[in-house]
Amino acid sequence: MRVDATNADDVVSVERGEIDRRIYSDEEIFEQEMELIFGRAWLFLCHETQIRNPGDFFEAPMGRDNVLVVRQKDGSIKALLNTCAHRGNAVCRAEEGNAKSFLCTYHGWSYGIDGRLKGVPGMKNFYNGDLDKAAHGLREIAQLASYRGFVFGTHDPTAPPLDDYLGATGRLGIDLLAAKGAIEVVPGIQKFVINCNWKFAVDNLFDWYHPQVTHASAFTPGVFPGAPSVEVAGNPSVIDTGDVQMEGGGDLDIPVTTITGTTFDQVVVIGEYGHGVGGPTASSKASSSNFDYEWRKTPEAREALGPVGVQVAGHPNIFPTLWVTTTNQVSLRIPRDPQHTEIWWFTFAPVDTPPEVRQLLIGFANHVFGPAGLLEQDDGENWAQATMQTVGIASRRVPHVLKMGAGRGKVIKEHGLARIETTTNEHGQLWTYHAWAQWMKGLDWHSLRTSTTPPDIL
Amino acid sequence: MTIDTEPHRTDPLAAMLRQYEVERFYYDEAALLDAHRYEEWVALFTDDTHYFLPIRRTKSRRELADEFTKPGEMAFFDDTKIVLEGRVKKLMTGRSWSEDPPSRTRRLITNVRVTGDEGNELAVESNFHLYRTRLKSEEDSWIGSRHDTLRRSGDNFQIAKRWVYLEQTVLLSRNLSNFF
Repeated sequence: MRVDATNADDVVSVERGEIDRRIYSDEEIFEQEMELIFGRAWLFLCHETQIRNPGDFFEAPMGRDNVLVVRQKDGSIKALLNTCAHRGNAVCRAEEGNAKSFLCTYHGWSYGIDGRLKGVPGMKNFYNGDLDKAAHGLREIAQLASYRGFVFGTHDPTAPPLDDYLGATGRLGIDLLAAKGAIEVVPGIQKFVINCNWKFAVDNLFDWYHPQVTHASAFTPGVFPGAPSVEVAGNPSVIDTGDVQMEGGGDLDIPVTTITGTTFDQVVVIGEYGHGVGGPTASSKASSSNFDYEWRKTPEAREALGPVGVQVAGHPNIFPTLWVTTTNQVSLRIPRDPQHTEIWWFTFAPVDTPPEVRQLLIGFANHVFGPAGLLEQDDGENWAQATMQTVGIASRRVPHVLKMGAGRGKVIKEHGLARIETTTNEHGQLWTYHAWAQWMKGLDWHSLRTSTTPPDIL
Repeated sequence: MTIDTEPHRTDPLAAMLRQYEVERFYYDEAALLDAHRYEEWVALFTDDTHYFLPIRRTKSRRELADEFTKPGEMAFFDDTKIVLEGRVKKLMTGRSWSEDPPSRTRRLITNVRVTGDEGNELAVESNFHLYRTRLKSEEDSWIGSRHDTLRRSGDNFQIAKRWVYLEQTVLLSRNLSNFF
């Protein structure tokens, strides 16, 4: 199945709030995504603090390309395709480290950390000196740039500058982490594989409807030790259980906390190219359990976030696959094939933090997300099972449904940001899929921006 | 990760008895986990325990000292007793969906080596194979080693430290809802 301008807005129908399930397992669509989305978008590679010294490298994914992000002797950063210019073998088989040069272990071609071809065995004896070394260096990616220490790359030489690509929404997404002060990556990137399509993993980050059921066990009092109490005092506005009955009988028992079982104020920010932020407002009760909430009150944070951004406390997604969390982490959702996605977690800590505070941050990150995280260990099975059910010829005809609030989101445009003020909703997901459909049309950059400019109603 | 060799023992009978006690403890422990008797399992840990499963990275041989993350860095598990008890409470809620239907697990504990004996505390290394299937066709297999501190407690032991080293870098599973 191909998605193009003739069917994209039907495959993703914003009007109906319905998505064609075939986009989660179709091989041809996956190939199109590799070309039209991951071959063009600015993709997060790493944070500058991961590669502080000359020769420090970190291998990052760009679609199915593996890229060595390398600190240079002059302090600049290069991103090089990890493939020998001779016969293609990887020139570096470690996932991170420090190198003086990159050696291909096939025939021994060796490259400087800047990617220049330096050594070729048999240059005189076999090649008779007749090989243009300058033409056979490691290939650099088309463009590389940083925003507040977050390094991005794109394969498209015609892509707009990173700042323009991020726009106000994408920059806000990163500022919600970067405005906390000087930060650095804590060593140890968690990497694991879920047998699901990457879009289920992205979709879910905007989803504040699922925690009360998917994560009901984690939100049961006493499970999250040492974390701030999530129990609600007084008389919260408990949500209806919608006549849901358990398999063994009895009503669905939804734990009532600041995040689950109750309504709370939410704000969804939508931006050009498909960036978005969805979740609680900073003053909602769901945010009161964020133990690092105080940083927003500093003049620096207010300045960086602006009057709208300072009220945003949800989950940003930098299109297509970079999730910024409220737990000082970012997560990459890396498509490996239509039904496999690698999840990478990068954890940040403020520089110069007292060791006990740092340990608290690391512990909290560890206990919430990642494969053993009390929350995330229950996510993967939902997405894996959902992915499997997009293959059967009858099951795949059932649409993926995003109707909650659809068509009722009034978009307020102020201070360069477009936002919807609401409660639990599916606007963030719908916006992401709408943008996905525009990317899949293969539009030029100008048309892509125009067709992903926020509407007045979503 | 360093590999300790078993200290020379002058009394083989005492060493055999100690080996028997440790192995029996591990087999009983594994049986509790395979039977999903998590509350009894977590009671085997001391209040000051540290349950740690570091992240492993593919590194070149010359940088192998940094292969595993250390405490103070990120990990897959980095738990105190209280956190372990929280994980057990989660499993006992009846709503811990990644374990309902429950995974089928079997633990094989082998190559048990006492590498240090302070009298009250033993340093013990062991290998494990944890095999898991879920639902109709989900299969996981984890092999690795555990570096434990076992503290004598009456006729039995308690686990005062368990550091788990997996033979994987990118974790080839969608979650870790089980214990090692």
